[in-house]
Amino acid sequence: MSVLRPLDKLPGLNTATILLVGTEDALLQQLADSMLKEDCASELKVHLAKSLPLPSSVNRPRIDLIVFVVNLHSKYSLQNTEESLRHVDASFFLGKVCFLATGAGRESHCSIHRHTVVKLAHTYQSPLLYCDLEVEGFRATMAQRLVRVLQICAGHVPGVSALNLLSLLRSSEGPSLEDL
Amino acid sequence: MWKDMEECQNKLSLIGTETLTDSNAQLSLLIMQVKCLTAELSQWQKKTPEIIPLTEDVLITLGKEEFQKLRQDLEMVLSTMESKNEKLKEDLERIFNELKTKMLNVKEYKEKLLSTLGKFLEDHFPVPDRSVKKKKKNIQESTVQLITLHEMLEILINRLFDVPHDPYVKISDSFWPPYVELLLRNGIALRHPEDPTRIRLEAFHQ
Repeated sequence: MSVLRPLDKLPGLNTATILLVGTEDALLQQLADSMLKEDCASELKVHLAKSLPLPSSVNRPRIDLIVFVVNLHSKYSLQNTEESLRHVDASFFLGKVCFLATGAGRESHCSIHRHTVVKLAHTYQSPLLYCDLEVEGFRATMAQRLVRVLQICAGHVPGVSALNLLSLLRSSEGPSLEDL
Repeated sequence: MWKDMEECQNKLSLIGTETLTDSNAQLSLLIMQVKCLTAELSQWQKKTPEIIPLTEDVLITLGKEEFQKLRQDLEMVLSTMESKNEKLKEDLERIFNELKTKMLNVKEYKEKLLSTLGKFLEDHFPVPDRSVKKKKKNIQESTVQLITLHEMLEILINRLFDVPHDPYVKISDSFWPPYVELLLRNGIALRHPEDPTRIRLEAFHQ
């Protein structure tokens, strides 16, 4: 199947699966390791992918949360993300997709303007998180946050649904009028 | 319950997929969100929260639980306090013993010093033999017993520590003048600024 759908399979018992999509293999691997180190009541599964669509030959569990990792230093990363977004079903964007922008710490190396990512996140109505994945401390904190979000998206937190979380995370800052 | 889930799953798999392009993304997503949130809202409204009836039994059980928790917390506090007390007592013991040994050492050292001083003075500064009678001019023979240099120093030291604001001692006849001279010349004793018959020990400890 070329398009990822949120509810295409039955969920595993007490499992939560997250898919990290991004061009920087090393960073994704490190983030995955940090997440697996976290203390979590549910069983975590982390899948890494360079881009979508995913090869259909692999037998994978139902995906609860997709995080698109955009490296602000490389235009290719943004391009890759935009192309991958076409292979995601619309119903995923009801709180089960998240954008993560990395590399904002080193202003001089940034080739993508912050506004571009903000606009992207705004278009797809999904939360945008900033984190310098190269820094150990920030990475650990971000891993913690993602684990919490993942738990909610997988439905392991009673009373809070992914859509509720989305409404809470909605930032009042949209792209400025000049960009629109 | 699992069967219900499987039924829902089957229904869902029949619904087709829909991808988004940049142009229609925002609007269609917002519409979808409205629909889903309304559905969730209606679900929540249908549910009535279960209230545990507060009957006597329930109250008693809840009360017991509370008291159990409280007791555990207090026990923990008690044990920490007790261990702290123990530690403090041990530390006190230890420090007290250390001080005692220090005191003993210092006393021992003091005794040693005093005895060495005494021996030294005895060896090198003996009391002159007053058996030689004084000649003509000095008819009055002084029959005052001379004291040793050691005793003189003792008098001076004691006076210095007994009456710190007035450490002066009157030079008595029992002081052998050459020894007084010796002490004054070497800066061990000092004269009273106004009264030449009084001397004091120099305050080496200050």
